[in-house]
Amino acid sequence: MSIELRDIYKSFGSNEVLKGVNLSVEDGEICALIGENGAGKSTLMNILGGVIKKDSGKILIDGKEVDFNRPIEAIENGISFIHQELNLINDLPIYENMFIGREIKNTSGLLNHKEMYLRTKKIFEDMNINLDPKTMVRDLDISYKQIVEITRAMIMNAKTIIMDEPTTSLTEKEIKRVFEMMLNLKKHKVGIIYISHKLNEIKEICDKYYCLRDGYLVSEGLVREVSTDDLAMFMVGHILDIKENRKEVKLGDEILRVENYSKKNTFNDIDFSLYKGEILGFTGLLGDGRSELFQCICGIDKQDYGKLFIEEELCNIDSVVKAINMGIGYLPKNRKENGIIKDMNILENASIVVWPKYSKRGLINFKLHREIFRDQVKSLRIKMIKETDNINNLSGGNQQKVILAKWLATNPKIMILDNPTQGVDVGAKEDIYDIIRNLADKGMGIIVLSSEAQEIVRLCDRAIVMYHGKIQGEVSKDTLNEHDIMKLATGSNIKSEVS
Amino acid sequence: MAEISKKGNSLILKLKYKWSNQPLFSTAIALVIIIVAQTLVLGFDYDSIGSWFISWLNNWVNILRNNASIGIIALGMTLVIISGGIDLAVGSTLVATGAVLMMLIDEGPNGILIKLGITGIPAFIVAILLILLMGSVLGSLIGVLITKGKIPPFIATLGAMKIFRSVTQHFMQGYNPTVPREFLVISNLKFGKYMIMPIVYWIILSIILYFISKKTVFGRQVIAVGSNEKSARLSGVKVERVKTLVYTLSGLLVAIASIVQVSRIGSMDFANAGSGSEMDAIAAVVVGGTSMSGGKGQILGTVLGVLIIAVMNNLLNLFGVPPFLREAFKGVIVVAAVLLQKKEKV
Repeated sequence: MSIELRDIYKSFGSNEVLKGVNLSVEDGEICALIGENGAGKSTLMNILGGVIKKDSGKILIDGKEVDFNRPIEAIENGISFIHQELNLINDLPIYENMFIGREIKNTSGLLNHKEMYLRTKKIFEDMNINLDPKTMVRDLDISYKQIVEITRAMIMNAKTIIMDEPTTSLTEKEIKRVFEMMLNLKKHKVGIIYISHKLNEIKEICDKYYCLRDGYLVSEGLVREVSTDDLAMFMVGHILDIKENRKEVKLGDEILRVENYSKKNTFNDIDFSLYKGEILGFTGLLGDGRSELFQCICGIDKQDYGKLFIEEELCNIDSVVKAINMGIGYLPKNRKENGIIKDMNILENASIVVWPKYSKRGLINFKLHREIFRDQVKSLRIKMIKETDNINNLSGGNQQKVILAKWLATNPKIMILDNPTQGVDVGAKEDIYDIIRNLADKGMGIIVLSSEAQEIVRLCDRAIVMYHGKIQGEVSKDTLNEHDIMKLATGSNIKSEVS
Repeated sequence: MAEISKKGNSLILKLKYKWSNQPLFSTAIALVIIIVAQTLVLGFDYDSIGSWFISWLNNWVNILRNNASIGIIALGMTLVIISGGIDLAVGSTLVATGAVLMMLIDEGPNGILIKLGITGIPAFIVAILLILLMGSVLGSLIGVLITKGKIPPFIATLGAMKIFRSVTQHFMQGYNPTVPREFLVISNLKFGKYMIMPIVYWIILSIILYFISKKTVFGRQVIAVGSNEKSARLSGVKVERVKTLVYTLSGLLVAIASIVQVSRIGSMDFANAGSGSEMDAIAAVVVGGTSMSGGKGQILGTVLGVLIIAVMNNLLNLFGVPPFLREAFKGVIVVAAVLLQKKEKV
């Protein structure tokens, strides 16, 4: 089966996300789809998977035009979409998960467990997978869950499988396992569209590549004809003015010290210090516990034990309000769920934290908030029409800047940013890096949590890498590189490998 | 959207823009249409414009006065629903506060304040203050159940609804308090020929609630909590406090409504008073464009919603539609209103 996307356009409101994109996949082809966050990859794949509708353009399957209104129509046409957050039900065994939504029933309408079990077993044998179909999905590690999803796609007779960043949270060994599976699929004449940020992996496994930038298809071709550096350049583009990381860092006094922070099954014995003017990175893979750790530090959750000192003074932070009063700002990850308040306007979103602080007799001082925000619009380069517009009218990057503005309005001494450039376009990403560096230059202590090693290297003065709830190691300025970070993040040690 | 307003020179486009961008626009239009219909049905077979107008005005004063109490309850309900909750206990709180109010000011031998030797205006003031306090306390208890007990609002208020009503009914069995005539002045004071006090209370409270929801930290935090509780909490909003206050306010408004009711009629049917009024209030709030999923809604919309349902009821009455069927029309209006409102894409 061959799939061709022709001249696809899509916009959300005034925001054009895809501007005439072409893409094609043949049988047994592994095709990489790359691009920075916000380049339009997910939108394009959501269109192919029937999750959203295109504005214009054509989808051709074996030369015949099709139109998907719902995911099920795409599935019926042999297209399977494996999302980054896997769609398996933990409390059912593998074989039942295989047939969710299209269960096999016997004549009396009851589930035919035996048949489902046998068919799952057979496909595992065909694909050389050593798994018992009766295992509960809960008991599988992530790479096997990934594999179960892929075989499920096979059982649904998928001819083309879309995989959205399947290796993000996998260790190297697990990645190998998924790759073997992909090569196996290739042998079975299945086409794969592989979305990833990891260029080395693309070099290793993909045949073709398509690169999107700001909604345009900027480059396509054979992977063996290009280097990873070329791919990186296609992704980022030439126009972008990438500023070097700060050369001179003037560290001040210690502003935050965390001792022995522990929470059962989440993180264990965490000690670190942060200094004025420092940008400290925290990174690791899924399940490293860094987000949970900082939720405890910011008073959202409670640690089991551990002490926290701000400017050498012992603090007990047990609520968000307390954290705010102690001078800690916390920009959470997942902007849509934790950041923006969708029914309020831009100004309200940018000032909600300081409403109580500046209110008189319970009245919100909107005049003052407007003044503060107007300055921030300039300094943070927020692009918008009116401050009374709904927050949803802004692009992801500008929304993120508004959320940042809301925290900066509290004048924090310490700013903790969890995935600050998540879902932010390339330009805004550089803006946000710039803003963070400026804040640090002015003496704020900054902690950046990120799953992208690249981001940590570009932005931070020092990085702490976590692995399964523990600090696996620390990499500082001169030796800060992606390779070491990845090694620590997957549970290895840097030094032991050197010797 | 900016482009649309620039392009929208033609009336239709402008209307379309308003329809989809101003939540109250469609509600206001619906109200106007119903009022026009009602005016037409009232007919013109009068001797003069003057006598027609007087009859029209009479009809309106009646409608508004009869709905003042539910209008006041719906104000509190609006904030509750914006905060993402629901308050099924308003009808029972109405009956409970009404009963206690009547026990307090009873002229007969069992009147509590009389026994304590307090009579006349001081007794009324004491009674009113106590009732306002009682409504607030009942509301805040519900709030605490929801926030500290982590019970869904539907369940917590359902429970409260049953408890308040049944306890009231039990204790008020065979007890028939007499409300002093002087107390009735609160609602029955006449201006010219018209008894408009309940309407005045409703208007004043609507303005206060409008002001609270637009200008105060609390009012805006209610929207934040209803729209995205998690974001609100992470932004330092004391979510539990805001929610508890919302139910407290709702209870307080119900108490006011019960004072209006008792002073208007001078009696209360403890078995049935206020039953179904929680649903009437919710219906008005929904017709007024407030979203049941929280975060979106306006006080003004609720006032319009109460009016729409009230005028519709009046219209059906004028048409001679049998009372049992009127509820069906109410149902149709609620569903139709929500059908017409702009919906968010799933």
